[in-house]
Amino acid sequence: MRLLLAVTLAAMCVIKPISAALFNAHDFTLNNGMRVVVIENHKAPIVKHMVWYKVGAVDEIRGKGGVAHLLEHLMFRGTQKVKDGEFNRLMNEMGAESNAFTSYDVTAYHQLADVTKLEALMALEADRMRYLAFDQKAFAAEQKIVFQERQQVVENNPAAAFNEKMNEMLWGSSPYGQPITGQNDEIKALTYDDARDFYNLYYSPNNAILVLSGDIDAITAKNLAEKYYGVLPTSKVVRDEPEEMKQSFIAGLQMSLPNIQTPKTVWQYLLPKSSNLIVSPYAYLVLAEYLGGGETSALYRDLVEQQRVMADVTVNFSYIARGNSIFRLSAVPNDADDFNAEQLASSLKKAIENAVTDLTDNKLAQVKRKMTADLVYVNDNPSTAANWVGFMLAVGWSIDDVENYADNVKKVTLSEVMKAYASLKDYAKVEGWLLPQQQKDLVK
Amino acid sequence: MSRRNRRYKGVGYYMRRIFAAIVFVGAIIFFAPFCYEKMQKLPIEQILNSSVLKDRKFAASVQQINNDNLSAYLLEEHSNPIVAISFAFQKSGIAYENDEKSGLTAVLAEMLTAGGGKYNTQEFKDLCAEYGIKIGFNAGMDDFNGYLQFPREYQAMAVELFKSALLHPLMPEDYFELIKSQHLIALKMQQEHPESVLADNFKRFIFEGHPYERNLLGTKKGIQNLIIDDLKDYMKSNLAQDNLLIGIAGDISTDEAKQLLSQMFDELPERNNDEMLSRITIETRGKELSVSRKTAQVIASFAVAGTYRDSVDFYPLYLANYIFGGAGLTSRLNKEIREKEGLTYGIYTYLAISDAAALLQGGFSATADNFAKAKDLLSEQWQMMAQNGVSEDELTEAKKSLISSYNLRFADIDGIADMLLAMQKYKLGSDFLDKRNDYINEVELSEVNAAARKYFKQIPDFVYIGVDDVKEKK
Repeated sequence: MRLLLAVTLAAMCVIKPISAALFNAHDFTLNNGMRVVVIENHKAPIVKHMVWYKVGAVDEIRGKGGVAHLLEHLMFRGTQKVKDGEFNRLMNEMGAESNAFTSYDVTAYHQLADVTKLEALMALEADRMRYLAFDQKAFAAEQKIVFQERQQVVENNPAAAFNEKMNEMLWGSSPYGQPITGQNDEIKALTYDDARDFYNLYYSPNNAILVLSGDIDAITAKNLAEKYYGVLPTSKVVRDEPEEMKQSFIAGLQMSLPNIQTPKTVWQYLLPKSSNLIVSPYAYLVLAEYLGGGETSALYRDLVEQQRVMADVTVNFSYIARGNSIFRLSAVPNDADDFNAEQLASSLKKAIENAVTDLTDNKLAQVKRKMTADLVYVNDNPSTAANWVGFMLAVGWSIDDVENYADNVKKVTLSEVMKAYASLKDYAKVEGWLLPQQQKDLVK
Repeated sequence: MSRRNRRYKGVGYYMRRIFAAIVFVGAIIFFAPFCYEKMQKLPIEQILNSSVLKDRKFAASVQQINNDNLSAYLLEEHSNPIVAISFAFQKSGIAYENDEKSGLTAVLAEMLTAGGGKYNTQEFKDLCAEYGIKIGFNAGMDDFNGYLQFPREYQAMAVELFKSALLHPLMPEDYFELIKSQHLIALKMQQEHPESVLADNFKRFIFEGHPYERNLLGTKKGIQNLIIDDLKDYMKSNLAQDNLLIGIAGDISTDEAKQLLSQMFDELPERNNDEMLSRITIETRGKELSVSRKTAQVIASFAVAGTYRDSVDFYPLYLANYIFGGAGLTSRLNKEIREKEGLTYGIYTYLAISDAAALLQGGFSATADNFAKAKDLLSEQWQMMAQNGVSEDELTEAKKSLISSYNLRFADIDGIADMLLAMQKYKLGSDFLDKRNDYINEVELSEVNAAARKYFKQIPDFVYIGVDDVKEKK
């Protein structure tokens, strides 16, 4: 079987083109500066329609935390030509799955719908890009709703206080250290004018990307984009890139919270922006996958399956961002009753060192195969491509970066992975322990 | 979908030319720029009626395939070289476990991907990951479910790995102990989250004494009691051909699918001798259970008796529920309690249907200062449904919504495979997709309102979690 696999694999390498584009996207820009990306997927007559604004929570003025997110809600509350309630009613009537999200870096509005409804979706989305007109009553209601949203999604989570404190410590004065939702008192203090000002500053076609993914050809898509979005007036958008954080420190956080039942540890490293890393970001991605990318990873096999000191361990690397990238490890100890934080941390460190020492060219090739084997699925659901492409372009990557993902992973060398690993010690790090209340005395 | 592909194959060149011509004409007629400033109101109806895309249609053809004792629903879809198979062993889920071994099926689901035949655990998992082959099992309350997905070029290896997993599982003792200890920790971690504590309490409150009250991971004692032979015995008596339902979707032909059926499941025993749980009567009368916990919000679940998929009430109640609490932001509940008052981030209801119980269930969460008001408004809306039902306009809009969103079910092939499975589970027939929009369209206002009267006349039972400490906190 092993031999057979090797032969199949060799054959595969010969037949397949070396640089297969991931999505074969069409990419163009309208006269008013709005960028358009089209990814064809003709499985069913449906389409994902997304508009990405290159603005997010990091662009808020200090003290106005949550305004980007509150505005995202208000975008559903009426324009000069569509009265409050009508946008949602039309979405429902057209059978569109309509929603939006706000992140630190970007804000996106999206619908998945039958392609016969696409033109109406475009007209409505274009309309609210320039002619938003929510009233005071809608503002007051949405302000309460986003407060409830923070309680439900963030504060009801028993680890919320720990997660937010970890972020604050790692990021220091950066806006990335503040919650996307804003703090409770910030949400309550936001005004109608704060939301309007944010809209006027950033919502313009020249600060937006349209992504169409689904049963539509590029020519029709271009014509429709010009018809509905191409006519929108622009305004000058001045957007500062978030400051890159360059501290180097090691900090520890231990927190006991009332509903926590079993200890957990999280390590976060604050790395430079992906464009300023000492090696390709894909080297860090490969390193994270090798160490803790699921059940077949080196740390999982060592700490969970062999040593049985952890019940779970994962490592990931987030690099699709306008600011610094983050290398993150999280683990759950196996035995909460015989718990020793110091010993567990040293087991983790030892296991990481061993795994990196053990990494060979063969193992590296295997990790890369795992990372690229799944890519055949990304062209299944049209939403997958739309999210991937939209996010990467909106934070400043090129379409080639998106299309050449597999090649970029395959290009990573053993020495780059080693350099990536060695560099971790040079960056700011927070080691956190989240503990059940009865265990707070166990940490020395 | 397959039909469309075949039609395009022969005459592709001419079709493309004709299509190009249509697009060109369209460019002149329909692509005139849109002047937002001059409009009083966006002419959505007109845009839809004159859209260049308005006539886009497609027919998905589902066929039933048979091979000896096995049968499946198949939907061919050749645009992407992947295949998805979803399957379910009925009468084999959590509700069919022995009480002393509660947690067995959840552990079994993990042990079936721990290697098989000549592949040890690590080899098995590595091969799956390296070739994009996805094999997994999942214990539901009624059924023991599984899936296989693979890139077409690795079909042979996918089938080999799958057979080794299901028919010759290794069940290594050390891995078994690992999974048990992981499930014991997961059981503890469930208690950290108010939603899962609520879900647990809700099940116990509504289904007291019935297997449906069980936790999805089992009990501490049940997991500790398990030995490997329990899993083997359970497989022998439960995973058979006559209780197996299969949906296949993706880049595969009818003949290949037939062959796949026998390769995957031919060696299973023919019969499962369990009886299906008999349907129980749900009676709610406004009982309430409050679970104390320090949280930012109170979270609530509520329910009355609902109806089954095979009942004449199904479509009328489905529409009534859609209008009341099922349609997202535009449901009556969200309009009144979220959009107008800002009392909650969201409130919803849905039909929860299992083999032996049917509920009309819902939930919301709100800070303690909002909670009573939100609950009062819910109760007011509930009574209005029972008394006045819905309007003709509301029903028309709900029907339009459900019919317009019909094609979204074809977004991904694993979703399609799941749908094909559900069509068999609920005995909807292989021609269901052709008829579904008619089923929706044919429901009359009087039927919806009769269902509203009948089901909303009941008083829901309530379970909530959280304490009144929000004011102290802020």
